[in-house]
Amino acid sequence: MSGVVTGCGVVSAAGDCVADVLAAIRAGTGVRSDVRDRFAEPLPEAEAPAIAGFDVRGLLGRKGTSFLDRATALAMVACGRALADGDLTPDDDNRHRIGVVLGTTTGSLKSTMDFSRETLVQDKPYLVNPVLFPNTVMNCAAGQAAIRYGLRGVNATVAGGPLAFLYALRYALNAIRRGYADALLVGGVEEYTPNTAWAARLTDAGPAGEASAVYLLRRRDAEAAGARAEVLSVATGFAPDSTDAGLAGCARRALAAADVRAADVWALAGDDSDGLSDVVPAAVERLPVRPALGDCQAAAGALAFGALLARHAEEPGAAGRPALVTARSRDGGVAAAVVRGWAGGGDDHR
Amino acid sequence: MAATITASAVRTCFGDGPATWDALLRGDCGAAPMRRVDPRRVGVSHGYPIADDRPFGPGRWLADCVTEALAAAGVDPLRRRVVSLVGTGLRESAEVERAALAGRVDFPAERLHFGPAVTGAAPGVDRVVTLANACSAGGHALALAQDLVETGEADAVLVGGTDGSTASMLAMIGRVAARPTERIRPFDADRTGVLLGDGAVVLVVEADRPGAGLARLLGTGLSCDAGHETAPDRDGILRAVHDAHRRAGRRPEQVDLVLAHGTGTALNDETEARVLAEVFAGCAPGPLVTALKGAVGHTSGGSALLSVAVAIEALRTGQVPPVVGLSRLASEAAGLRLVRDRAVAAAPRVAQVDAFGFGGLNAVTLLEAS
Repeated sequence: MSGVVTGCGVVSAAGDCVADVLAAIRAGTGVRSDVRDRFAEPLPEAEAPAIAGFDVRGLLGRKGTSFLDRATALAMVACGRALADGDLTPDDDNRHRIGVVLGTTTGSLKSTMDFSRETLVQDKPYLVNPVLFPNTVMNCAAGQAAIRYGLRGVNATVAGGPLAFLYALRYALNAIRRGYADALLVGGVEEYTPNTAWAARLTDAGPAGEASAVYLLRRRDAEAAGARAEVLSVATGFAPDSTDAGLAGCARRALAAADVRAADVWALAGDDSDGLSDVVPAAVERLPVRPALGDCQAAAGALAFGALLARHAEEPGAAGRPALVTARSRDGGVAAAVVRGWAGGGDDHR
Repeated sequence: MAATITASAVRTCFGDGPATWDALLRGDCGAAPMRRVDPRRVGVSHGYPIADDRPFGPGRWLADCVTEALAAAGVDPLRRRVVSLVGTGLRESAEVERAALAGRVDFPAERLHFGPAVTGAAPGVDRVVTLANACSAGGHALALAQDLVETGEADAVLVGGTDGSTASMLAMIGRVAARPTERIRPFDADRTGVLLGDGAVVLVVEADRPGAGLARLLGTGLSCDAGHETAPDRDGILRAVHDAHRRAGRRPEQVDLVLAHGTGTALNDETEARVLAEVFAGCAPGPLVTALKGAVGHTSGGSALLSVAVAIEALRTGQVPPVVGLSRLASEAAGLRLVRDRAVAAAPRVAQVDAFGFGGLNAVTLLEAS
């Protein structure tokens, strides 16, 4: 049994749908917006691959949004869009079987660092603002999204930096396959703040990007009309000594688990996949995220996944053909997912 | 989908698996005066101890079970992908207490979970994960083991549960009991609370092979009450029972035997009895019900798997041991077919195992004769 994707929710610097993400990747030039007036603190750059004009109050309303940090707000908007796009309305009959699985790096770095700083600079007895405390836990985004949309099923936050989305996808696929949930919002979120901008600059990973991309994953044997893609398998590994070989092995395991021949892979989404040259056909179409959208960390894999869905949507001839989404981290973590998509609904794929 | 349990190894106050099974059939009670801890200081006088007071008891009992179970299953971790999941309530916390009192730590931190104990007994095991889900830890480990086998992530899973006792846990029990208990009396009108039992269990779970192995593992239903810190919750337990039946594809009238959690506390036994009555209402005559803790104590993280191991023996032999310590039936259990005084021959086909932990952690497993 596998999971099928029936809805997408995207907030990105390239635009608010997967087609926009694909267009930006294909253009290959960095998407940039002016960030000079956005924060009181200095930034390492004047322009960044950050989302321009994100208005949380306009999108979610005033109620309950005053104290949300940016990562949480981005995730909540993307989750709402994925539910709407997938035509799934949570109600008292289904909400216990709908959940949220989000990939993250460290939650909101800004919320955590600001709160920690307050405990150091405030006068004794260190009067920090308790309303801001919930933002400092890593599962804030997944929790707030579940509260807003009334989702009482599995709620998990999976930390893994650039691997986080594929970790979350693996977790969600297992939860669906093993009957712990019927539908899951699975995605990755990353915010652009001075904290992430400087972290990226100081580690030579930059420029920092931001995005939130969330997909509605459902049981294949459930109502799957309108399925855009099927997630067949996700494999993960750790190969600090030879990450290229580790990623290749990981991709081979994912393909074997999906019962897919490497020669049939037609597209490869994700960054740093040079090590896969021996695995996939030379003519494979590559969809790297970083050149266009910066270092989106936990959201990077989710954007790559979205670009793949968009590519399938515009290429009916590739219907049902398998593709790989891959990710790797600097410390040697590797992950690969096997996905096949369709141009329109998935009604004809059985 | 289902999985197969291909081996079982047990350590309790009665000894190994066969010794424990024989004692259960005889209706023996393993309660004995407290060892290792001064009863006056913790307010608990009795337990169900294994006669082994050396440090790291839970890890050693577990390792013994790993060795025995692997040999019985014929599984070689060097040749197949074997993962181990260990459920526990207290881990090796008794050694932390010992180190704190001595003011000196004489062991590496890794020994506080069961990684070294398992890999020492089973070289080649891919990974050892220690879970701490209170008294249903073993049930949660069993659910994950079935997931790992059915998704093809592992060829075999060594599912373990082990616990000894710690002074702090005993002191907590001593403070909540109205008066010291000398034995556990599950579902008895005069029950006086729970006592800890030493114990370890290891099961080997492999892919479904109908007709082979010791028993089929049909499924485990999990739920979290998200309610009270310690009190059991009817709705949460019912969710786990229904989830177990749904996963197993079995209806209540198909269940022949229930291994109850039965801790001998006022709240657990009343709530569990009412839930069982509700689940099996309309099933005539309804399943036989037994419970082990009056004989072997509450083996905490090991208790769910100990009940599974005993259920397997019941499915294999057709013998069902009695509830030890039950003499005057509690009124809320009046409608249950509790096995009393002596073992009965019944030839059950499907067994349900209940395990409920503090924090509202519920795990209910369904097994079928192979």
